[in-house]
Amino acid sequence: MKLKKLIALMLSLLMLATLLSACGGDSGGSTTPTPTAPSGDTEDPGTNEPSNAAVDAIRSAGVLRVGCKEDVPNFGLFDIASNDYEGLEIDLARLIAGEIFGDDSKVSFQAVTAATRGPLLDNGDIDLVIATFTITEERKLTYNFSDPYYQDAVGMLVRKDAGITSIADCDGKTIGVAQSATSRDAIQAAADAAGVSVSFNEYGTYPEIQMALLAGNVDVFCVDRSILRGYLTDELILTDDKFSPQEYGVTSKFENKELAEYVNTLIQKWNADGTIQGLIDKHGI
Amino acid sequence: MSRSPFALWRWKLLWEDKAAIFSGFVTTLFVSFLALLLALLIGIVFGMLGTSEKKPLRAINRVYVEFFQNIPLLVQVFFIYNAFPLLGFRWSVFMIGVAGVGIYHGAYVAEVIRAGIRSIPRGQSDAARSQGFNYLQTMAYVILPQTIKIILPPLTNQAVNLIKNTSVLATLSGLDLMYQANSWALQGTLSYGPAYVAAGTLYFLICFPLATWARRYERRIKEREHIQLSESAVDELMLMAEEML
Repeated sequence: MKLKKLIALMLSLLMLATLLSACGGDSGGSTTPTPTAPSGDTEDPGTNEPSNAAVDAIRSAGVLRVGCKEDVPNFGLFDIASNDYEGLEIDLARLIAGEIFGDDSKVSFQAVTAATRGPLLDNGDIDLVIATFTITEERKLTYNFSDPYYQDAVGMLVRKDAGITSIADCDGKTIGVAQSATSRDAIQAAADAAGVSVSFNEYGTYPEIQMALLAGNVDVFCVDRSILRGYLTDELILTDDKFSPQEYGVTSKFENKELAEYVNTLIQKWNADGTIQGLIDKHGI
Repeated sequence: MSRSPFALWRWKLLWEDKAAIFSGFVTTLFVSFLALLLALLIGIVFGMLGTSEKKPLRAINRVYVEFFQNIPLLVQVFFIYNAFPLLGFRWSVFMIGVAGVGIYHGAYVAEVIRAGIRSIPRGQSDAARSQGFNYLQTMAYVILPQTIKIILPPLTNQAVNLIKNTSVLATLSGLDLMYQANSWALQGTLSYGPAYVAAGTLYFLICFPLATWARRYERRIKEREHIQLSESAVDELMLMAEEML
């Protein structure tokens, strides 16, 4: 009798799992036609751009919803004093909103972390993620990435008194990386090349890694150098190491190809005409 | 190829990497087991203090219980992890898991045990004393053994909560089940769906049998008439059990 109950339990779990997977599949399938449903592409003859149902859907929603970082200086940072977000990626989101609505204020930002940005895109809570999202081949299986708008190498931030000047000094050290960060692979490859063995601690946010570094729970804070510069303090220094360049792309839900194409055209245009370089210079990255 | 977060190919990827999730599961089991031992030890000591006739001892129990029950566990472990090293103590995350979670739940277990001791009629300890047992002997041989049947259900609920609470270690890079699931979910193809479902299922598989057993056991002892309980003590325990669930 106990066995029966156990089997019943297992079956119900299995059913739950299949239900979830079915739901996921459904939402994946049903969201594709949703943007097409309000097929009001004949409504606005004013725009001379090619008709794009996904963009029309955003227009009729009245606001572009963007997932951004709130803890990365110069890219996406929530400024408590001004009660607003600021940084390269914030400006980029406003530019895209400007293209869609002709009004760059029609954008709502939602702070995301590495753990939340994927689910939020899948749920349809946000239209785009512009949050130091590194482009990789594996990730392209799950999301759309635009052409890169920024490229940066992974660096190392260490305590001044630690006596670490390069990856070669890191034998037996613990490296703090962000969850979901591609820097982990980059550092592992560099450590292998230098013949040192390192271990990794993953954290949800960058301030947590900085705290762990200051407290000595990790020896090195590894992420893209431009991000690390935002976390420099008197006790810390940035080493000269530069590992495999990371490219950031604007990310959208996989099924939403139209939006991805629209955004990618914009990024290509702004890469070519120097708009993005201007933003990079503006933020001193 | 389906792009759903729960697509079949993502489950296959997880299955290939099951060793990582399993190692997290084992860590969670170890941390839970040791933290539970610590919580029981602390609970017995502070539970006894709480029933002492000496006011200062009862005060120690109150301070301990109120302090640890009224500060979130996450805040406590963050403090141990980030502030203790600056004061010169560095604990491994495993130790923070065992000690942090154990000390926190020790406060709850102390309350369970205190209520359990108070549910035993006073005549029992008077009788033990009259036979020459000292306080500790009275507790060890007469009172505590009688409380076991009464406190087991709420204690089991504590154990379930404790197991679930070890997941705070995930935020400290604790290599536990939640950390490993998160870590896997956020690497490679970002297949978070199967990872979180697997983690939830594994937690469920430990906790559900425990909770079910406790509920049944509780029902059974309620049906037994020969256990003498004062009404107020039963009420107190029931309240406590409800609070925990």
